Amino acid sequence: MTLEFKPGKAVDPKRAVRWGALRVAEYRFYSMFKWIGSVIAYGLGNPILYLLSVGLGIGALVDASAGGNTLGVSYIQFVAPALLASAAIQGVMDEVTFPTMDGFVWDKLFFAINATSVSARQIADGVMIVALGRGLLTAVMYLGILLAFGAIPLSSVVPLLLSAMLAGWGWAAVMLAITARLERDEGYFALISRFVIAPMFLFSGTFYPLEQMPIYLQPIGWVSPLWHATQIGRNLSYGLEIGEGMIFLHLGYLALLGVIGMAFVYPKFKERLAR
Amino acid sequence: MITQTILTQAVAIAEKRAQRPGAAIYAGRAAVLIERGFYAAKSSNWLVILSGFVEPVLYLLAFGFGIGQLIGDIEDGSGNPVSYAAYIAPALLATSAMNGAIYDSTWNVFFKMHFGKVYQVMLSSSLGPMDIALGEIAWALMRGAAYSIGFMAIVAPLGLVTNAWGLLAIPAATLIAFGFASLGMAITSYMRNFQQMNWVNFVLLPMFLFSGTFFPVSVYPEWIQVIVKALPLWQGVDLVRSLMLGIVDLSVLWHILYFMVMIGLGLAFTTHRLRALFMR
Repeated sequence: MTLEFKPGKAVDPKRAVRWGALRVAEYRFYSMFKWIGSVIAYGLGNPILYLLSVGLGIGALVDASAGGNTLGVSYIQFVAPALLASAAIQGVMDEVTFPTMDGFVWDKLFFAINATSVSARQIADGVMIVALGRGLLTAVMYLGILLAFGAIPLSSVVPLLLSAMLAGWGWAAVMLAITARLERDEGYFALISRFVIAPMFLFSGTFYPLEQMPIYLQPIGWVSPLWHATQIGRNLSYGLEIGEGMIFLHLGYLALLGVIGMAFVYPKFKERLAR
Repeated sequence: MITQTILTQAVAIAEKRAQRPGAAIYAGRAAVLIERGFYAAKSSNWLVILSGFVEPVLYLLAFGFGIGQLIGDIEDGSGNPVSYAAYIAPALLATSAMNGAIYDSTWNVFFKMHFGKVYQVMLSSSLGPMDIALGEIAWALMRGAAYSIGFMAIVAPLGLVTNAWGLLAIPAATLIAFGFASLGMAITSYMRNFQQMNWVNFVLLPMFLFSGTFFPVSVYPEWIQVIVKALPLWQGVDLVRSLMLGIVDLSVLWHILYFMVMIGLGLAFTTHRLRALFMR
């Protein structure tokens, strides 16, 4: 039998090893565990600090003034679902941006993996599995702290976790699609964090109802997965009236982000790894 | 021979410089670092540099005007009501001075130390460690001052600076940045890898959230207030807030003294570390 070299087909998808994504995930989990200490410290420290400062500190000012009546609930209950969703989104996103750059550009590990019988699609899936794992860890820790502060009822924990993770997946898919297109790091992540992530965090109805923003700033919230997840979360945790139809709209939007994102991710991974 | 003449002159200049007291530490040529900063900035991504001042503006919009609607007026520390936006604007200016200085003096310096080996090359010329410390910090300060001017140009028309003292907020922000940059550089010299660099954020985030930035420190019990007031960011926030809201008294001088001491200690420490690392 002669070995045949086919450019562009490093791994024949039909011959790819079964469950290849899990093997990619395995290696990535191992490398994540090298600094699991800081993942946990940050995962626990961040919610505690934000709840003490924003929830209780700013909350005391809001609850004491007219704002307390506008919201209908205490300020800490109001911000809790938003902080949870934001933490899940951030946790998931951190695992798809720099590590993807590492796999393609810096260490080029994805090429090495692809040279074995693991397909491009499986590598993308593996990266996503680890990201969701990290997001899950972050979200579970956050939920624990929120419960301890009495910011959410116990019964809402599971649905809150699911909606936050859906938002995390949707946004991570979009970011993975973008990162897979970056050929070099020229400060793009700094720009994305300043011009996309920070506005998204600040203007998605996180700290006050979106309707208080001037109408020309509200679209930031409409396109942001954070706002959709927050609205669902507020409905789940303290019964904010948003209507059943809107719930499905919010969920549908988040799912759509994920599906569209991944639809761009797979072909790009395949094309790039075949170079 | 012309080369011979040039060589002799060069050696003569070098010998003259070397005879000055303290030449091994400070050659008086920190300005060349600024020159290098300009050259290096030319080839980097300008949008990244310019965007540095966007962050406090976004926070001001979101917290000042958004949460401001929920809160209304707040007491400014001497009994007068001010809008929530006017209350947090000075804090955001002080924080962005801190963040800018820390970013420049930690990540930037870390890369130059471990990957670029820039300082090693510089120290093999006539430059001493003090030149590098001063020059590097001066470059960061020029950037920081530019950000402060940009921020003031936005908040002043919004009516968030209530009097002429507010103009002094720009040099005050630069002083704050100087303090953080000189100390930050010394601390960075102990860092060995990226994971350790993350600990810097573990210190900055709580300082940002609890230094009277978003709500007065009077909400805390007495003993926590004492701790918070010892932190450099609270000193900076209180200084800039006094100036921008026009509540100027002698306490301003204490804040300035605090930063002078911080700068002095930081510079001495950084120079010592650069010497220990590269001039063995």
